[in-house]
Amino acid sequence: MGNDAVEIAINTIKLVVCFLLIVQAVPVLVWLERRGSAFIQNRFGPNRIGPLGLMQLLADAVKFLHKEEFAPAKAVKFLYYAAPVVALVPATLAFAAIPLGAPVHWDQYVFPLQGYEVSVGIVFVLAVSSLAAYAILLAGWGSGNKYALLGALRASAQVISYELALGLAIVGIIMTYGTFNFGEMIHAQEGPLHFSFMGHELVLGFLPNWGIFYQPLGALIFFAASFAESNRLPFDLAEGEAELVAGFHVEYGGFKMLLFFIGEYGHMIVASALMATFFFGGYGLGFMTLAELSASVATVVQDPNIVSLVTSLITFAVFSVKLAVFLWIFIHVRWTLPRFRYDQLMDLGWKTMLPWALFNTILTATLIYVGHL
Amino acid sequence: MSMDSFLFWFLAFITIASAVTVVTITNPIYSALALAMTMVGVSAIFVTLGAYFLAGVQLIVYAGAVTVLFVMVLMLFDLKHELSAFSRGQISGTIKVATAAALAGLLIGAIVWTVSGFERVVSKPAAPDSADGMRELSHALFTKYVFGFEVLGILLLIIAVGVVALARAKGGTHAQR
Amino acid sequence: MPAALPVGLPLGGVIFIAIFVLCFGAALLLLASQLGTRKADPVKYESYECGIPVQEKKDTKISVKFYLTAILFILFDIEIIFMYPWASNFQEFIRTGQGGLVFGSMMIFIAVFIFGLFWEVKSKALEWD
Repeated sequence: MGNDAVEIAINTIKLVVCFLLIVQAVPVLVWLERRGSAFIQNRFGPNRIGPLGLMQLLADAVKFLHKEEFAPAKAVKFLYYAAPVVALVPATLAFAAIPLGAPVHWDQYVFPLQGYEVSVGIVFVLAVSSLAAYAILLAGWGSGNKYALLGALRASAQVISYELALGLAIVGIIMTYGTFNFGEMIHAQEGPLHFSFMGHELVLGFLPNWGIFYQPLGALIFFAASFAESNRLPFDLAEGEAELVAGFHVEYGGFKMLLFFIGEYGHMIVASALMATFFFGGYGLGFMTLAELSASVATVVQDPNIVSLVTSLITFAVFSVKLAVFLWIFIHVRWTLPRFRYDQLMDLGWKTMLPWALFNTILTATLIYVGHL
Repeated sequence: MSMDSFLFWFLAFITIASAVTVVTITNPIYSALALAMTMVGVSAIFVTLGAYFLAGVQLIVYAGAVTVLFVMVLMLFDLKHELSAFSRGQISGTIKVATAAALAGLLIGAIVWTVSGFERVVSKPAAPDSADGMRELSHALFTKYVFGFEVLGILLLIIAVGVVALARAKGGTHAQR
Repeated sequence: MPAALPVGLPLGGVIFIAIFVLCFGAALLLLASQLGTRKADPVKYESYECGIPVQEKKDTKISVKFYLTAILFILFDIEIIFMYPWASNFQEFIRTGQGGLVFGSMMIFIAVFIFGLFWEVKSKALEWD
């Protein structure tokens, strides 16, 4: 975590800030969802509390804190209370591994703008995301309600089925960049778009070198599978409000349910961040490499520490914009598409996405192999 | 005590405590969850040894798939029979502890006898070229052990066929609800 | 433990944030339980079943398809895990001249995978009705 006290302190604060970023993004996302859905459905959303209804979720959180808190008689108390707390952990661990901006070079320290830097980045993120099935199962079993148990089994079966498609869609992008590390992937996406095939080069100067142009099918499969991973519509039969009341969290009320929602929005944020990192250049600006950006900032500011800090802030802002775009797409899709039936959902995961992801892998491997002959 | 050794002892404690919980606790679901914790602990120990990819694979496959399977399947059962069938009492307890001690003694004896025949190595192992040692792993896997790799694929196919046959034989694949 | 490896995963940071998140969640739940009212009412503690009294059947059978889904997931997950080191070193293999061998061996592996998937779909093992 660092060699001396300053580094350890700053790294610790960075970790806590990464977690609090998720917790603080949830009220903003919920506001966006409620106002956005109202806009789509041609009605007003919350607009009474605070300007534009921005204080609505603060009021909701305070209300949740004061609700009566009890466990059903047939619940297994330890698992019932542990499940919402466990639901927070995978999303946080995954989000802390993703770089949010360029590293800050301050004196002799280098602080990457992420909780911790992982050399096997994507394998680590997949590993901790696969632990998300436990929170669902614990909630379903711990509620002592057979409908919650059925909902939990269905939700976890859905999550693990789409984890396959998710893992396989990424193989193409790993082949293209030849690394698991997020920082290296973002670095490889700088500059203008250039393809090289069998010795011929094609440079398209007006487009950035982003992953979406190399792996369009992989991006589509990854994005669709991440909808299923975070139990969002159109894949949210597990918590479908009109059908199953609330699926695996039917017996949870008050603040425990809010913790589940922080976990769900956390998974959405991680999926959007991964989408931006793999396919849209991460924190890089499309039309300027990091070195050029640094140089242009250095013409305004003299101190190299401040130059590095300002560059990092600019890249962080760019990343946040990309994140916001994908989160808006998540919300837009939720209120636009109808929900899948459960057997349609499982068929889609096993019989459509998995074969297409395999096809994408074979195609990418063939193109890379032939292109280097 | 340095940071590294503190981390190792902490992880070792968690792993062994979870493993002991797996064996001693009566409720099967708690046992399976403790198994998941043991897998997570082993994965963390892999990280301290520098095998980052292997740690990730351990988490993905063991903690994220195999124990999820165990937990899911245990939830399909009515566990009252299991809980009442767990044998308690002094004689059975003594037999259990004696068997575990005998096996552990055998294992430790074998390890000590093997290690005492080693020579002490005086040079450090060569550091891997890449930061995560992936290049060595994939070079070995796809050039030297490629036959074993293909056989593994066929083995997984056989397991898939066997599982479907087993479930079908018990009348399972077209559901009863 | 080899001393010359760069730290590829700062385990201290991961463990710290995991424990921090668990404590944060637990503290919030504790706070919520202290701040709320407490009125005992037997109806509140019954399991939810859309408003009707609880109908406990002695043996509710649950489909075995969950077990099948989980096992097939493990198998295909292991196959996907094997593709990761292959994918990350593929261009490197091509550069050192072993591209053909590595490409061919993985194509055979994927063929076995596709055959397994195709067989499993055709045998209707995962038909959810």
